[in-house]
Amino acid sequence: MALNEKLKIIIIEELNLEDMTPADIDDDAPLFGNGLGLDSLDAVELVVQVQKYFGVEIKDMDEGRVAFQSINSLSNFIEERRSA
Amino acid sequence: MQQIKDTGRSIQKRRWSSRSVGTHLGRSIFYGLMRIGGRRLAYFALYWVVFYYVLCRPSIRRRSDYYLHHRFPNNSWLKRYLDCYRLFLQMGKILIDQAMVGILGPKKMELTIYGRQELLKLVNERCGFILLMSHAGCWQVALSALRFLKVPVNLLLEQEEGNIDRHYLEQAQIDFPLRIIDPSDNLGGTLEMLGVLKKGEVLCMMGDRVLGSEKNYLKAEFLGEKAPFPFSAFQIASAARVPVVVFFSYKTGYGTYALNVSKIIQVPENLGRSGEAYRPYVAQFIKELEMFVQNYPYQFFNFYNMWHQMEPDPNR
Repeated sequence: MALNEKLKIIIIEELNLEDMTPADIDDDAPLFGNGLGLDSLDAVELVVQVQKYFGVEIKDMDEGRVAFQSINSLSNFIEERRSA
Repeated sequence: MQQIKDTGRSIQKRRWSSRSVGTHLGRSIFYGLMRIGGRRLAYFALYWVVFYYVLCRPSIRRRSDYYLHHRFPNNSWLKRYLDCYRLFLQMGKILIDQAMVGILGPKKMELTIYGRQELLKLVNERCGFILLMSHAGCWQVALSALRFLKVPVNLLLEQEEGNIDRHYLEQAQIDFPLRIIDPSDNLGGTLEMLGVLKKGEVLCMMGDRVLGSEKNYLKAEFLGEKAPFPFSAFQIASAARVPVVVFFSYKTGYGTYALNVSKIIQVPENLGRSGEAYRPYVAQFIKELEMFVQNYPYQFFNFYNMWHQMEPDPNR
């Protein structure tokens, strides 16, 4: 399964977005605020899940700001960290 | 001090303000009285100022009704006036004491810390922890006493103009690393919070006030009626694998305060996003808070209807 798809499924399942499917999530749409509408506590959970599923740690605000822009930026972040 | 803010869906209207009801001139007069005649003179003036507010400012008095009605449901209207007077008087004295710490330094206050060893043990284990406080007693005085921990302390505080807490911190002579995390920053400051906890630092949060969406609070019984309480502290503790220390500070006499580690709550890791998973831990906090308001009824300072605070924002 492509990383983007896997991320979407994790977000839907772990953040309890019951009324959404992976097809509803645009790869470039913002995850927080006006895009997918996630909030600050969703960010906490996303940090936990990225570490759990991919072994990648998002250590601070600077990394989070880069990684959490969209599904594409999150998958790029994970790929970079895994190959580092 | 604030609970974390949401950047996402279902944002609700906030029903409380951290702004002081006093004016800059009023505060300046009290600071002047403190400098001239010390705490006694400021207290003397306070008795009359509070008397005026209780008798002549019904809109201010009404703010105390929500809490006093729940704490003393059987009291007559006359007794309710007296309760209100005692509540405002105690808050005024605490504000004067805070200012004394700010102007003359923390040595002007005699502090007794119950649970010092437990806190030091957590620090020595290089385990960060969340210090969960509430709008009770004098949490600001508690902050000035945390230097013995010898680790940086982080405080979740909105940088709102006129914020009474920010005003105190600007005045206070706190001589250890105290960093403010602003919940209105990117992602409500949550990643910053996780970061400091992972470094073994202390994070101070409030457990009794909700700011944000209906996703992030639980309704639970408090003083006989269900009220919303945030579970964010417990979710962050679960994600960062750190304990939550329920901590109260309270005035015990003239210039004397006590700080008390009321309970250390261990939250299992990775409990997930559902609020219900955190209900047992929120309930433990509420139990401690209820015990506090039973013992110190005039040191709980939530001047808004915390039982019915979450109503849809008509502007959205």
